[in-house]
Amino acid sequence: MPAAKAKLATKAAAPKKAVPAPKKNVPSSKPAVSKAKSAPAPVVKASKKRSVQQAAAEESEEEESDGEFGDVAIDMNSDDEESDAEEEEDDDEVEDFPEESQDMSSADVEDDDEEEADSDASSYMDGDSLVDSQEENNDFSDDADEENDDNDDDEEEEDEDNFENEYTQIDPNFGRNLDQPVEEEDEYQPIKRVYPEIDPVYDSDSSTEENENTVGNVPMEWYDDFPHIGYDVNGKKVMRPATSDELDKFLSTMDDPDTWISGHNAQEGKDVKLSAEELDIIRRLEGGRIPDAEYNPYEDSVDFFTSKTEIMPLSAAPEPKRRFIPSKHEAKRIMKIVRAIREGRIVPRKSGHVLPKPKYYNLWNDDDKPREDHVMHIAAPKMKLPTHDESYNPPAEYLPTEEEINEWNEMDKEDRPKNYLPQKYDSLRNVPAYGRFIQERFERCLDLYLAPRVRKNRLNIDPESLIPKLPSPRDLQPFPTRLAVEYLGHEGRVRSVSVDPTGLWLASGGEDKTVRVWEVATGRCMATYRLEELVTSVAWGPNKDVAVLAVACGYKCGLIVPEKLFSPELTQHSEEYVKAGFANAGDSEANPKATWKQPTASEHSQGIRVWIHMQKPVKQVTWHRKGDYFSTVAPDANNSAVLIHQLTKHQTQQPFKKTKGAVQRVMFHPNKPMFFVATQRYVRQYNLQRQELVKTLMSGVKWISSMDIHPAGDNLIIGSYDKRLCWFDLDLSSKPYKTLRYHQQAIRSVAYHKRYPLFASCADDGSVQIFHGMVYNDLLQNPLIVPVKILKNVHERVESLGALCVEWHPTQPWLISSGADHTIKLFS
Amino acid sequence: MDSLADGPQVQVRFVTQQRQYAIPETPIQTPARLKRYGLSQIINLILQNEGEKQRPFDFLIDGEFLRTSLQEYLDDKGLSTENIVTIEYVESMLPPTPLSSYEHDDWVSAVQIHAQGGFLSGSYDNHVRLWNKQAECLQVFSGHTGPVKAVQWLTSEDETGTFLSGAMDQSILAWEYSLLDNQHSLLYECKGHTGAVESISLNATGDRFASGSTDATIKVWSTKVPKVSDPMEDAGKSRKRAKTSAKDDRVYKAPLVTLTAHTGPVSAVVFNPTAKDTLYSGGWDHSVRMWDIESHVNVWTKNCEKVVHALDYSAHAGLLASGHSDPVVRLWDPRVDDSSVVKQTFSGHQGWVSSVAWSPESAYLLASASYDGLIKVWDIRAKGALYTLVHAKGSKKALALDWERDIMLSGGEDNQMKIHQVKSNMDSTTSSN
Repeated sequence: MPAAKAKLATKAAAPKKAVPAPKKNVPSSKPAVSKAKSAPAPVVKASKKRSVQQAAAEESEEEESDGEFGDVAIDMNSDDEESDAEEEEDDDEVEDFPEESQDMSSADVEDDDEEEADSDASSYMDGDSLVDSQEENNDFSDDADEENDDNDDDEEEEDEDNFENEYTQIDPNFGRNLDQPVEEEDEYQPIKRVYPEIDPVYDSDSSTEENENTVGNVPMEWYDDFPHIGYDVNGKKVMRPATSDELDKFLSTMDDPDTWISGHNAQEGKDVKLSAEELDIIRRLEGGRIPDAEYNPYEDSVDFFTSKTEIMPLSAAPEPKRRFIPSKHEAKRIMKIVRAIREGRIVPRKSGHVLPKPKYYNLWNDDDKPREDHVMHIAAPKMKLPTHDESYNPPAEYLPTEEEINEWNEMDKEDRPKNYLPQKYDSLRNVPAYGRFIQERFERCLDLYLAPRVRKNRLNIDPESLIPKLPSPRDLQPFPTRLAVEYLGHEGRVRSVSVDPTGLWLASGGEDKTVRVWEVATGRCMATYRLEELVTSVAWGPNKDVAVLAVACGYKCGLIVPEKLFSPELTQHSEEYVKAGFANAGDSEANPKATWKQPTASEHSQGIRVWIHMQKPVKQVTWHRKGDYFSTVAPDANNSAVLIHQLTKHQTQQPFKKTKGAVQRVMFHPNKPMFFVATQRYVRQYNLQRQELVKTLMSGVKWISSMDIHPAGDNLIIGSYDKRLCWFDLDLSSKPYKTLRYHQQAIRSVAYHKRYPLFASCADDGSVQIFHGMVYNDLLQNPLIVPVKILKNVHERVESLGALCVEWHPTQPWLISSGADHTIKLFS
Repeated sequence: MDSLADGPQVQVRFVTQQRQYAIPETPIQTPARLKRYGLSQIINLILQNEGEKQRPFDFLIDGEFLRTSLQEYLDDKGLSTENIVTIEYVESMLPPTPLSSYEHDDWVSAVQIHAQGGFLSGSYDNHVRLWNKQAECLQVFSGHTGPVKAVQWLTSEDETGTFLSGAMDQSILAWEYSLLDNQHSLLYECKGHTGAVESISLNATGDRFASGSTDATIKVWSTKVPKVSDPMEDAGKSRKRAKTSAKDDRVYKAPLVTLTAHTGPVSAVVFNPTAKDTLYSGGWDHSVRMWDIESHVNVWTKNCEKVVHALDYSAHAGLLASGHSDPVVRLWDPRVDDSSVVKQTFSGHQGWVSSVAWSPESAYLLASASYDGLIKVWDIRAKGALYTLVHAKGSKKALALDWERDIMLSGGEDNQMKIHQVKSNMDSTTSSN
């Protein structure tokens, strides 16, 4: 209480000192501020120190109120809650903070009236209510005092005196002149009990009293059987005083007026009159009050900080930035804790905060509440609901006959379908108690307890949903499904087949060194050309006006004009067309890589019209769509592996000065001047007009075996010896759009159908696979690839070779495949 | 009749589409153990046919021929014997019997029978042969330079006759022969096709014939024998032809009409024998077309999904039968305008159907030859095949088929032309009538 008053005094002092300031120039107010700064600072510190000391001494209640006040004081200048919160949190800054706030308030207050500031401050805060509560406390203590009054007026006076003494002691601080330096506050002492002075004279020592029993504080009944009751300082027995009988006692009490205030002192063995203090203590104890008369349980609370809120801050210093930004230090500490929690070093709410176990609890408290599902909880199987025959009065048809009852009785307990017999009672009243109740309960409990229950987590994935949604092959007809025609006659592996553009004639070349031409519809061999070398590739010229068959055979490439298959006019024209180049053969210098030669007479009679001799064995021959140019591949002939021949002029070009890698296949683009070259791993697309590389397709396979281009020219498929079939969308990417790996063995040949959205592949496993490969005109729609048919074991495996070549019929959805088993087959 | 009363009985109702054998449609109690023969006897009994007049009948239940006893049939189908069973009866066709086999040098790709008894066969050895019933080769006609794909009788008397042959050498040759002096001569050559001639058909009046070719055209020609060659359109062609065929003095004939609507090879042409100007054609473009050759109009087009290999028209049934590049025989009704509607299909073959032939006398019987080497006889009232004849074993193809009177003629990859006797009692009834 006095501290608070002192504080109020200091606060009041600050504005008064600053009153003249406004009359000065504004700039000069700065020094005033600094002065003010230096002046009040120690005060606050002192008061704070004191408050700390006090806190230790005083009750916790008061401490709390102190804390509140402290908060309030800090609150003073900051209206917004954020900074408030921050300051509460920020431990480090609390130390020096009050100083500044005081300063600021003192500086700001300069211009304002003191009273205004006071009233404003009080209006800002809930200081009023606090003051009220103090007053109430005081009132309460007064009441308590009044009660005391009834007991002892003297004591009351003493109390009041004491109080006044205290008050007067502290009074000087209260009524101190305002001009007095505030430093004197340091001299203030906390309230102390004032004991009566002890004069240290000889007789002041009570121990010198005679006849003092020295046994100390021992139960005196120990001496009950002795004549003495103790020993004095000299070791002599203190004899028990003579005891009078009860009558004497009574008489003496009647005589002695002090009897009622005397008590028996067992140590001395006689009655002793109680002093006034002792009586007071007794009285207080009787009254249920604190025995110590001077103890004041309702001490005035002492303001640690002032309860008055200053409107103006003592310091003009701007709010430091750290007030507005989150504290890094604190964040660091929090993170430290968070990290510790995460790492498990701190287990929240484990060590310190163990809730004490209740001593007693209601065993059946939550018995009827549904228990929360545990992870491993498995619900008990439900009991079956009762049925009609369990009724006390079941319909007649449920009642068992005599035989059934006998049968039921004879049956083993385990074999009985039901463990009861339906019984009929006239009324519910007649139903006896159920005899098996306990047993059934017991069995049920056994069931629940012993039955092994396992939760099976079944993956509810519909296998259908994993399969990509593809149209049914039935909707994608027509595609070949069954063997229709076989072409028998070859005596060696049939390496290559080709159907002429009219779709009537099938040419095949094989390792029996023959080229055969077959009637497609009947399987009849119409012509056989016997050559000197193995035939590796045959290809009909795509031009319907020129019937010419190109044949790759050993080191040569031959051109055959078959007789009798076509009209004489067409045959004649074809022959002229093929041979026309011999006329200008002399004009152009002979290309050493390929020489065009006339066949021998016998060969000519067979139908062979031109031979092109090359340096290395020719593996493939393929036509340009117009039927004038055709290209041959001789993989061994390094740089001249790929040659492009012009039929009309009998000229040969070498399109690539240098070829990268071993060329496997070449293809002309079906409608653009493009040329595709497949090496072992890559497919390169060249522009023949500009003579440049357009694109390199990365197949991702190890060894490309075959290639075909979609008739629209935007898609390309390759087959590889490592069983893969890759579909490239040339507009999309240089990587395969789809890689299909359905074959068991190396893929030998792939082919697109010219008209139908079909493509096929054949492999060494002797099987042919047919796919629906729809290419949409819409550029945004990716090609649709659906496997529609696997023709298994089309060709027998001979020396680990199966189906060697597939070819589509140009107009019908018929597939022609040739194999190592010397056969050619047509599927429709 | 005592035996009839034994065993379980079934109520049956007999119906027929043949008027001459119609009986009242009242249900009759019959023993369930009866088979075809027993039921046939019942019909004959009701018709009061006796002795010579007895007719064998076949019985259809739900479109299937009864080949077991009634009881077994009902058991098989899980039908009750309580209900009335409706049985359709048709006059039975006796199983065809193989008569003889005619050895050729090469595949037989075309056969035709004349009503008077001459058999023509075209072969892959470029020859046309004339045979008699005794399997004797009467004459061999060699003039073609390619396999003969089609033969067509024009006229035939006892000892003389004329016929046409078309071949892969793109020509149609008209021949005249006489057995008296064992002579034959080439009447004329029809020139104009630029692809193999696949099929030839003569119209009802015998003054026009049509040919279908792999060059996607149908050409209609007159049967009149020209005295001199028709002028050819292209001078260059004639020059070339002069060069290639300067050896003979053939009379060349130009087509009257060229019908070009097919977009693929034309594999079959057949005239409607009842309407002289109506021509049906089928080709690799999956279409069956009807033409009016007088106005050169493609009257209608019906499409299916498969290549048409063979066509035949039945005057009795008024239906077209077609063989395709699948094992199915299809029936078309030319009177229905709806395109691409197949009236009926017959499946049973294992390979492509290379040739079809209607029975010359019945509106219900039909035969087909297939690449599986089998010839199947179908009754269009039944689902399955009536009879299956083996033309060639070991998956040798049957390529050609013709059916005239009681003779069924077939040729195939096994270099054989085979004759089957088809004893349908109907012709005897028609002759007796």
